[in-house]
Amino acid sequence: MEVMEAIRGRRAVRRFTGEKVSLEDMKKILEAGIWAPSGSNVQPWEFVLVMDEDNVERVKMLSPGLFGNPSALVVLCVNRKRAERAGKMGEESALMDVSMAAQNMMLAAYSMGIGSCPVLSFNKAALRELLDIPEHVEPVLILTFGYPKFWPKAPRRRPLEEVVHFERYGRRLE
Amino acid sequence: MSDGHFRLLSFLITSARGCVDEPKIYGPLRLLDAAMRLIDIMEEEGRATPEVLRLRGLIEEALDVLMHDEEEFVRRMDELSRELAKIIKGQKT
Repeated sequence: MEVMEAIRGRRAVRRFTGEKVSLEDMKKILEAGIWAPSGSNVQPWEFVLVMDEDNVERVKMLSPGLFGNPSALVVLCVNRKRAERAGKMGEESALMDVSMAAQNMMLAAYSMGIGSCPVLSFNKAALRELLDIPEHVEPVLILTFGYPKFWPKAPRRRPLEEVVHFERYGRRLE
Repeated sequence: MSDGHFRLLSFLITSARGCVDEPKIYGPLRLLDAAMRLIDIMEEEGRATPEVLRLRGLIEEALDVLMHDEEEFVRRMDELSRELAKIIKGQKT
């Protein structure tokens, strides 16, 4: 699949068929994550893969923003100790690094016919307790994965002419 | 974990914490989600009338449009409220 096709086709999927995503496929998706760029090549991420049905349910109970019945979850975390290696900017850049890893994973999933959805609405304190996440590791995002019941339609995008500033701010791209 | 009431309780507590930091529109989203979960429980317990089950369908439809059309979401919530009022109107005291 062409990269642009995946970028334009990916959607936030919140309804899944219930069919299981294999561990092998999840490993491919996670592999896409670790190939993301990171500031100073710090790779400040930790990924917690949750596939056990009961465990997925437990995470769902603590995550109001997690919809549907995904087959697998990846909890993306920032390892603060690793992030410190990037100096003062480490904290900020770690979030960007993890975000780029997340996008890689979602695009890889889409190219395999697997739907995904980023979830920010979860209870961090409770999730730490549930998944034994240590103090220096902060869960920042959950990605859900599963085979979509349907691919939702695309929300409107702000056009390039509105978003892009050519050479200086305020000068529109024709 | 299979206790629907406990699951709803967990959802309400974590939603309350989340709503402190989340966008304003997430408030109605969480409340409608909770309403849907409550209807699921009522159904399991054999207490959901066809009218109440219809409300669940309307909630689902409203949630489907939330992320890409907030105006339509509000319109559907109004429709949902009217349907609820019809049920209440037909109930005996």
